[in-house]
Amino acid sequence: MVHETLAATNAVVTLDVAIPDIFWGWYVTMNMWAKSIGTGLIFMLFLLLKKNSSEMTALRTPTIIVSFVMMNIFLLFTWLDLHQMLRMWHIFFYPHWTSAITVGAWMATLFVGLEALMIAVMILKKNTELFDKLLFWVTLLAIPVTLYTAGIMAEATARELWQMPTESVQMILAATLSGSAAMILLAGSKLSDETKNFFGAILGLSALMAFIIYMSEYIFGAMKAEEVAAILDYVKGDGEYATMFWIGQWVAYILPMLLVVLSRVSKSSSILSLAAILAIAGLWVVKHVWLVIPQLLPLS
Amino acid sequence: MQLGFLVDLHLCMGCKGCEIACKVENEVPLSTWRLRVKYVDVGTFPETKRTFTPLRCNHCENAPCERICPVSALHYLDNGIVNIDKERCIGCAGCVMACPYGAIYIDPETQTADKCTYCAHRIASSMMPACVVACPVEANIFGDLEDPSSNISKYMQRHSDVQVRKPEKGTNPHHYYVGASQTHLNPLASRREEGYSLFNKITTLPLGGHH
Repeated sequence: MVHETLAATNAVVTLDVAIPDIFWGWYVTMNMWAKSIGTGLIFMLFLLLKKNSSEMTALRTPTIIVSFVMMNIFLLFTWLDLHQMLRMWHIFFYPHWTSAITVGAWMATLFVGLEALMIAVMILKKNTELFDKLLFWVTLLAIPVTLYTAGIMAEATARELWQMPTESVQMILAATLSGSAAMILLAGSKLSDETKNFFGAILGLSALMAFIIYMSEYIFGAMKAEEVAAILDYVKGDGEYATMFWIGQWVAYILPMLLVVLSRVSKSSSILSLAAILAIAGLWVVKHVWLVIPQLLPLS
Repeated sequence: MQLGFLVDLHLCMGCKGCEIACKVENEVPLSTWRLRVKYVDVGTFPETKRTFTPLRCNHCENAPCERICPVSALHYLDNGIVNIDKERCIGCAGCVMACPYGAIYIDPETQTADKCTYCAHRIASSMMPACVVACPVEANIFGDLEDPSSNISKYMQRHSDVQVRKPEKGTNPHHYYVGASQTHLNPLASRREEGYSLFNKITTLPLGGHH
């Protein structure tokens, strides 16, 4: 806040009817969370292909199906969030290419279409060679599909907290965190201990890096702009979202990091699975808090 | 042509005539406003005063709402107005999130975005915006910023303290204020406290943003 101004003027708003709503709420949180898992699984499947393709045998079909389902959940909530759902087709017939929403909608549609093709390739043709070729292109496309939401947030000029490229990094880390976690849970005993540890390392490192970025925003963000300082007040001290913020940080990042280390020391895959479950659940909370708090600030 | 607005805050007396005229002219639904006047009380008793700030869309040259709109529902007119096509809008609320001035809302009746259009329909018929006509002290000055002989241009030439809201956002607003302070223009420069509102039981209808 402008403390100096406050002290000098003792200014108090006595009549205002500013827009009171949180416009992007948990539907958009679901959107980001489901997309992270959907694209993250593709990244992990591609890594598995490059690391040890023999372990992919039993994982191609279930992984692509789970990713496809998560991407459809993401699209469903994107659609439900529209106040004029039946006009969704306008995005395809009246596209405005300066909008990250438009670019993202087109890319995500193509992405889901390619995933459907990959499912057909596996179920109908059982053609693993073609599947692996398609996987390369789908992995490439998964990068911008993961990132475009950060583009939307950056285009939301009113919300000073959301900046590019910080949000891009967080989107990629959310995908690698939730993708590795989902792969650990999905693969079960189908992966060797070494490969599981590999995905565990990705999970732990993603959690560590995302946590560092959130903490740097938390500690140093206020130094950048008074708007950021005012927004971060909602997650500091007795701020409205402080408890939820720390629950998210602990469940998504801190506990999974510790559990990954513990699983490596104790060679326990069940501890690793617990880390994976916590990371996926906590990511929803983290994303929700970061989505909502800039919307609490009066803009006028 | 580049149409713009200027509000002389020395003249504004907070009568809200502009607010009502806008509501009536544009059939703005209950609980939503294209134009509103914010009151801020300044000082400590007995040295106190009340400031009034009419707030509306800034019709930015570099409008974040136009940029983020996925279907070009928000678009520029040749006269510089940032207009909205409600038949095109899909209600994604991207513009609501992008506008640094909180000037866009979701119309609860049509479930589409809406905002001040500088009364584009009246201007097309060579009439002034409704709020300009209603202002009893001519605090609202409207005209062509590219015409040096227009009222708004002359006003800007005569006054040195012409300001815009949030210049750091790089939006280049075409809406100006004369006689403004931080208290008028910076939402963070004043407190918002329970019990300090003139009307303590203001209710708002759901705007469709409760997801």
